[in-house]
Amino acid sequence: MKHGKTAPSEERLRRVEHKLVEIIGNFGYLKGRSAKTSEVMAYIYIRQEVTQQLLRELTGFSLGTVSAALQDLEEIGFVSKHPIPNARGYFYRLAGSPSQVLSRSMLDFQGYLSEISGFLETVEAKLSKPSLSTKLGHSNLRSFLDEMNVLIPAYEHVLQKFQIIRLDSTRKQEGATSHQ
Amino acid sequence: MVFDPEIRRIEQEIVDFFAEKASEHTGRHPIVSMVMAYFYIRRSLTQRDLRSLTGFSAGAISKAVRQLVDINMITREMIPGTHTHRYKMEMLPFRSPSYFLQTEKTLEIAHKELVELKKSLDAYGDVMRDVEVYQKVYAVVAHLLEQISKVPLFMTLIEEELEKFVKTEKRKR
Repeated sequence: MKHGKTAPSEERLRRVEHKLVEIIGNFGYLKGRSAKTSEVMAYIYIRQEVTQQLLRELTGFSLGTVSAALQDLEEIGFVSKHPIPNARGYFYRLAGSPSQVLSRSMLDFQGYLSEISGFLETVEAKLSKPSLSTKLGHSNLRSFLDEMNVLIPAYEHVLQKFQIIRLDSTRKQEGATSHQ
Repeated sequence: MVFDPEIRRIEQEIVDFFAEKASEHTGRHPIVSMVMAYFYIRRSLTQRDLRSLTGFSAGAISKAVRQLVDINMITREMIPGTHTHRYKMEMLPFRSPSYFLQTEKTLEIAHKELVELKKSLDAYGDVMRDVEVYQKVYAVVAHLLEQISKVPLFMTLIEEELEKFVKTEKRKR
């Protein structure tokens, strides 16, 4: 491991970057992510390409924590893993540009909604068995379903009204052509 | 409350679905997602209830409920005459995103902090402009500032639409 002396200006930059990581990380925590995963995500969001080694230096987390976080982030499609050319090990790249990553979370939401609504239909079918209607807990499930049955179409309506999907895909196409 | 076994199996399916899907789509910790899903259905629970429903350790449960309280998802109150807390979810988080995300407050703070960061970056600009990380940090700060300025209006529009839609639907039923 190389420990070069960092110039005072770089030191100051690190502090600014760390503050930025705190701000971004706070959004992740609000979404229910763990504080450590949020911090790792924020560094990747800024640096766009990282190695486990770099993340360990930046965060001070253990190798285990960093590699577990990266594995999770790879699974949710936030990063992709690539071998380092002519060397051992891997580097991780943010999947898309920062603005694509932001808008993708909107697109995902639409997919998530339709998955929820499909799943709740199967629950609805099971719960409709007449013998269950007097059973303990039935009313809890019933009111959850009733509320979701109103809310899900409401979100679909809102997403459509503001055309989030179409705006997003145009932006993506522009991004794709600019790479060519 | 002890649910009927068949109802309990359906509940378990719902909870497993949200634990898996919410984590997949939001990056939320699976334990947090699962605890949240139990609140969707039961609305009011103690840490002991959650331990017996999920089988998770006391530590894991206490960490999850603390985070859910922090993010306004549930509230905490002492059960009179005991040392036990009861946690409540007043409404589903889908009902009012700005309430649960505390968007206004969070964004206001983030905006203020980002403006400060941009000032420091501008001040160090001459010395650090050539450092690659400087460019990246600068780009992210600028991008976030731009995005954040758009959010409040968008949130208001979404909330108004949701509210309108839900009211009409409820009247229909």
